[in-house]
Amino acid sequence: MPKVVSIHSYRGGTGKSNFTANLAASIALHGYRVGIVDTDVPSPGIHNLFGLEPEAMHQTLNHYLWGETSIEEVAYDVGGNVGLTGDGQLLLVPASVKADDIARILKDGYDVKLLNDGFRQLVKGLSLDYLFIDTHPGLSKETFLSIAISHVLILLLRPDKQDYQGTAVTVDVARQLKVRNMLLAVNKTHSKLNLQALRQKVEETYNIPVAGIFPLSEDVVQLASEGIFCLKYQDHPISQEFKKVALKIMEIA
Amino acid sequence: MVDTGNLKSLTASISAVTSPFRTYLNELYDRYKSLQEGRVADYIPELSLADPNWFGMCIVTTDGQVFEVGNCDQLFTIQSIAKAFVYGMALEDHGRNLVGARVSVEPTGEAFNSIVLDDKTNRPYNPMVNAGAIATTDLIKGKNATERLKRILDMFQRYTGRELNVSMPVFLSEKATGNRNRAMAYLMLNFGMVTERVEETLDLYFQQCSILVNAKDLAMMAVTLANGGKNPITGEQAIDERYVQDVISVMLTCGMYDYSGEWIYRVGIPAKSGVGGGITAVVPKKLGIGTFSPPLDEKGNSLRGIKVCEALSQDFGLHLFNMAKPDRVLEDWLHGSAVDSW
Repeated sequence: MPKVVSIHSYRGGTGKSNFTANLAASIALHGYRVGIVDTDVPSPGIHNLFGLEPEAMHQTLNHYLWGETSIEEVAYDVGGNVGLTGDGQLLLVPASVKADDIARILKDGYDVKLLNDGFRQLVKGLSLDYLFIDTHPGLSKETFLSIAISHVLILLLRPDKQDYQGTAVTVDVARQLKVRNMLLAVNKTHSKLNLQALRQKVEETYNIPVAGIFPLSEDVVQLASEGIFCLKYQDHPISQEFKKVALKIMEIA
Repeated sequence: MVDTGNLKSLTASISAVTSPFRTYLNELYDRYKSLQEGRVADYIPELSLADPNWFGMCIVTTDGQVFEVGNCDQLFTIQSIAKAFVYGMALEDHGRNLVGARVSVEPTGEAFNSIVLDDKTNRPYNPMVNAGAIATTDLIKGKNATERLKRILDMFQRYTGRELNVSMPVFLSEKATGNRNRAMAYLMLNFGMVTERVEETLDLYFQQCSILVNAKDLAMMAVTLANGGKNPITGEQAIDERYVQDVISVMLTCGMYDYSGEWIYRVGIPAKSGVGGGITAVVPKKLGIGTFSPPLDEKGNSLRGIKVCEALSQDFGLHLFNMAKPDRVLEDWLHGSAVDSW
């Protein structure tokens, strides 16, 4: 049965797109067909990591939401761009980066039912094993939707007060939506922090397991937002941590 | 922290989007969209303008989930559906004894516009035939025509949760061509079954038929009855809960014109239809159904609307007297998640 995984963070700048791309790739490495939808229509970006240039994105999620195309037609096979090996596949549905397109979707809004039906069509039409949803930070209708349909919701946070507070709000909403499984991931931790103590504190705060902790890494920063780190440096400790999170997801979903 | 229910209401709207019940309704919609039978009502020109392809269905549950598929915002005239609700208001205004003295509750098996009164009592047979509806409209209190119409519109607003208007062109057409109804009214005046303000009452009758609604309004009206007279979204009481059973009873026995007997047998959901293409159907304590599709069968009921109600009744065991285990358990379909069947 296909599984839906949503990655969300309450605030921006947590490294959500990077996290989503690396986790999706780690699962694709196991030979699965993995779809990724960029529902961050106000500030799309994940296509950069998959080496998809705006000029190559003739049609996007926006066009699907405007009823101009089917959703399968806006799914781009990006595995080759990022050096994915094996039988797995990475299929990305990007959101438009054109200012006019963004303005249009913000101005007119869209029917959240259409997004739900699009996810379903994408999973069925492309026979996906996993669907990853990269969300816009904060809470919005599409966040609610993606939480409601997720088999696993991953909340990404940095170890600071604002993120702690915001994550608590999201956890409340997710529980109200009866989310099936929730995991936390802590990103950009300072290298001097005691990771074991941090894990314990975060798990106690939310009563949700921490799937992975990712220290602030010079190596990742260097790669900036091009390419998928854990495909390029498969033996790096960061990639190993992603592998662990991927295994946890495949276990529960 | 003050909880005003916003989170709960947004959550309910999202759970309606992801619910398998919506997927089911989408499939029903696709199944009956292409149905090419039936005729759009054309006894007045305004009705014949309706597009036969219009098709909308809305279901609202008593816990406030809203499901909309197709043309749920398209406005059309309420027509005979108003009769059931105005009957409820007459009961609130006068109580059962007086209303019962003016209009019976026997199904006729005759067409809706037949000029037949009970031989012994001179009462119209029931509030769902035109004669009975005119008699109940006569009972609506108010010091003048304006106030009486306002009371009726306010009542519908309590049911639907939004302000409704009368279509002036339809009203004028109904009035201009309504000689048969006028004849009935005067016949009843002759027998003392309606009061002297007969022209005012006829206007009020033609106006209530010409109220503009959409499929969602019809679902809200039905679910309000299903919920004991209280609108589950706004929390407003639309009708005294004591009279809810009266309204639903006459819908069950007389609501579908001279198809009512077959309707109870096959579908078993109290409902009222109108020649504008609407049907409102009440599943007590569970949900309200509103459908809209202009092509009618020869009895004057919306063809696609009948199909939708039939399917819902069979698939979820919504027939009032169903004892068998249904193919689908409503609760599971409403509150489950469609994603597990992707």
